Amino acid sequence: MADNASEPAAASKDPSSFLSEIHGAPITVKLNSGVEYKGELQSVDGYMNIALENTEEYVNGQRKNRYGDVFIRGNNVLYISADK
Amino acid sequence: MASQILPLELVDKCVGSKIWVVMKGEKEFSGTLVGFDDYVNMVLEDVTEYDGSGEQVKLKKILLNGNNICMLIPGGFGEENS
Repeated sequence: MADNASEPAAASKDPSSFLSEIHGAPITVKLNSGVEYKGELQSVDGYMNIALENTEEYVNGQRKNRYGDVFIRGNNVLYISADK
Repeated sequence: MASQILPLELVDKCVGSKIWVVMKGEKEFSGTLVGFDDYVNMVLEDVTEYDGSGEQVKLKKILLNGNNICMLIPGGFGEENS
């Protein structure tokens, strides 16, 4: 189960530890609409609301806009990807 | 009935191995399951994203929102379930 604390592999690599791992790092957020936002992850909450810094907006793989700070409402988020 | 396996226990058995995620709509993901939570938000590694048009995108490590997940299949994309 997700709350199985006796499973070290799961306990140390669940979604919240992944988020703390990528805090401040460059990431890509893909929305359900297909639009992508690339920026530095400032914060995330339990709704997957996301605050990004130095953000670039990509529509169909082409950069459309640049923003200093953006807030993305969590219900639109498909995935958060670490840019490695 | 006492020995019944809960659905999420089945998912937990897949941690560390390949899994195939079918979303609502056309999208699918295949990758190694790193972890998940009670909402079945999933951390996946060495991911391939398949959209409906046959295009594939490779991703190193992602947190996939559980909201639009429809089905999980142990093993990678297109593999027969053992």
